[in-house]
Parts: sequence; C-alpha cells; structure tokens
Amino acid sequence: MPDEFHDAKKLWQDQPMEAIPMSLDEIRRKAHKLLRRAQWAALLWIVIGLALSVAFAHTFLQDHGLLPRIGWGFLTLWSLYGACHAYKWIWPGNLAEDGTLRTSVDSYRSELERQRDYALHIWRRSGLTFCFLGLAFVVLPLIVKALATPKLLVNAVPFFVLLFIWFIAFFFQRKRGRQRLQREIDELKALASEGQS
Amino acid sequence: MGGTDRISAVTQDHLYCEVAETYGPPLQRLARAYEADPEARRDLLQDIHLQLWRSFAHFDQRCSLRTWVYRVAHNVATRHVLRQRRMRKKLVSTEEIEVEIENMPTTDRRELIANQNQALDRISLLIQRLKPIDRQIIVSYLEGLDANSTAEITGLSAANIAMKIHRIKNVLKRWFHEGASHAG
Repeated sequence: MPDEFHDAKKLWQDQPMEAIPMSLDEIRRKAHKLLRRAQWAALLWIVIGLALSVAFAHTFLQDHGLLPRIGWGFLTLWSLYGACHAYKWIWPGNLAEDGTLRTSVDSYRSELERQRDYALHIWRRSGLTFCFLGLAFVVLPLIVKALATPKLLVNAVPFFVLLFIWFIAFFFQRKRGRQRLQREIDELKALASEGQS
Repeated sequence: MGGTDRISAVTQDHLYCEVAETYGPPLQRLARAYEADPEARRDLLQDIHLQLWRSFAHFDQRCSLRTWVYRVAHNVATRHVLRQRRMRKKLVSTEEIEVEIENMPTTDRRELIANQNQALDRISLLIQRLKPIDRQIIVSYLEGLDANSTAEITGLSAANIAMKIHRIKNVLKRWFHEGASHAG
C-alpha cells in the first residue's frame, strides 16, 4: 500500500502550487475591472429597459383601440420599472461590511435565505404584474376578434395547452426548490444554535 | 482623502501583503477544494484575494487574523459554489457520503477511484461533492486546524466539529483503502 494513502493531511498540504500573481497592483486592477464590468452590465439593462419603454410608448401613441392602448401603457410602465430596478439592485455598490466576515454557517444560511427570498419576490421585483397585465390587454382584443373565426382559436389551442403545462411545471419545480432551500436553512439554524449554546 | 483614510489604506495594504505571503498556499488549496476546473479555480482564488484585501478595510481584531482570513475565504468560495445551482443540487453531507460509500458495491467504488489518476485528485473528488459547511470542516482538518479553531471559523460547536471529523476520517480511510487495494 503506498505511503501517501496513510496521510491525507500530508498529501493535501504538500500538493504542488501554481504560481499565480497576486500583487497589490494585480488586486487593484482586478477590483477596477470587476467594478467596470458590473457597471456595464447594469448600464446594459438600463438601456434595454429605456429602449423598450420608448418602443412601447411609441406603439401606445400609434394604436387607436382603448384596450390595446392600456396594454401598451402597462408595458411601458413595466420597462421603465425594469430600468429603475436595474439601477437600484444591479448597480455595484460598496461591499457590505459584514458580508464576508460572518461565521461560515451564518454566511451560508444568509446566502440561502437570499436565494429563497429572491425566488419568493421575483414576481414583484421584476414587475411581472405590469408585464402580464399589458400582454393581456394587448392580446385580449385579438382573441375577441378571433372568436369570429373559431378555426383560428382551434389552431392556437396546442400553444395554450403547452403554455399551461409549462406554467404548472414551472411553479411545481419552484415550490420544490423552495422547500429544499427551507429544509437546508432550518438545518443550518439548528446547527448554529447548537454552536452558540 | 483624510489622514485617517490614508492610514487605514496603508494598514489594509500591509495586512493584505502579510496574509498573501503567509496564507497564499493554504488559500490555493482551499480554492482547489471548491473548484475542479483550473481556469475557474484561478478566478475563484483571485476573487478570494480581492475580497480579503477589501475586507481588511474593516479589520477590527475582533478575532484572530487566521480566523478572519479563513472566514472570508470560505464565505467567498461558498458563494461561488451556490452560484452553480445545478452543481449545488448534487452536493451531499459527510453523513450521506459515508452511507453512500458504505452501500456502494466494491467494484463500483474501485472503478470510480481508478478513474482518478492521482491520490490528490481522489481527495479533491471527495471534497468537491460535499456541501459547503462539511467541505469547510474537511479542509480545516486537512490544513491541520484543531476543532476549536474550526468552530470559531464556522460557527458550529466544537463537539459537532469533532463528530464530523470522526466521520471524515472514516470516509477517507475507506476511500483510500479501496484506492490502495486497487493500486496494489
């Protein structure tokens, strides 16, 4: 039996090291690069949001039907909300003072809680209410019009069935994911309270 | 920039240089425990160093420098693991891996181990399958930290750490015994 199997610690500590430059200049350059990248990403979302809002507002002005106009109005609001949201949530800020300094269990748990809360509030944070209301108002008149020619509606049935199945699968999967996260959070809470006592 | 800020920035740089020199190799090993891909590992290591440098702006000596360094490094690496959602679903605890190895047919285990050419790859394979907290404990154990130091870093009780380390030793023993038998 080779000796290395007897001492995992020695094996681990003696592993060959790569020469990776980590000078202060390198670190500062990386910090600067990361900040720029994050700013560009946020800027991109803001520009996309604003461009969409202009396009929807333009369609709002062109359309003459009341319901579609309400729909385009909602979509304009949604894209403006998206741009504001990008500025508020994605624009890089300073590192939270305790963000990296908590004990590992606390830090891990708060990351999981953040993921759980994000999944819980994604509807509100993404302004999806505006989006779906807008789409509904835009599509509704088209459906009403299509009622005159039922063949069109029959053709659209597979699409709506698939959409429905997708919605059910999506919500079911999200619920399962949330339950799994919650289980892990509860386990970590129990471990942390044991550690404090 | 005011005088206090200047002193703080100098201290921050000084602390970072000291840590980069002392903890450079342990941090590299820690990155290996969290990331298998060499390119992504390099990025993770750079991220750890960057966050360490940033964190020293707030270093108030409420814990030892070593505890501070390991906390920051593990927390950054944990966030890195959590970002890979698909990978996260497959992670297991030490208890689960112990049962899994126990129940795995010997031939399967040998085959799995034989695919890893180096003993170090075998350890890494084992560690990278663990959930972050268990991973922190095994890395701390392999780095030679005692149960109390690991407890201070992780926030778990020393008794809990001791129990987990006992399990880790069992897992490593079985894992390497199979590998050694196969190699022999």
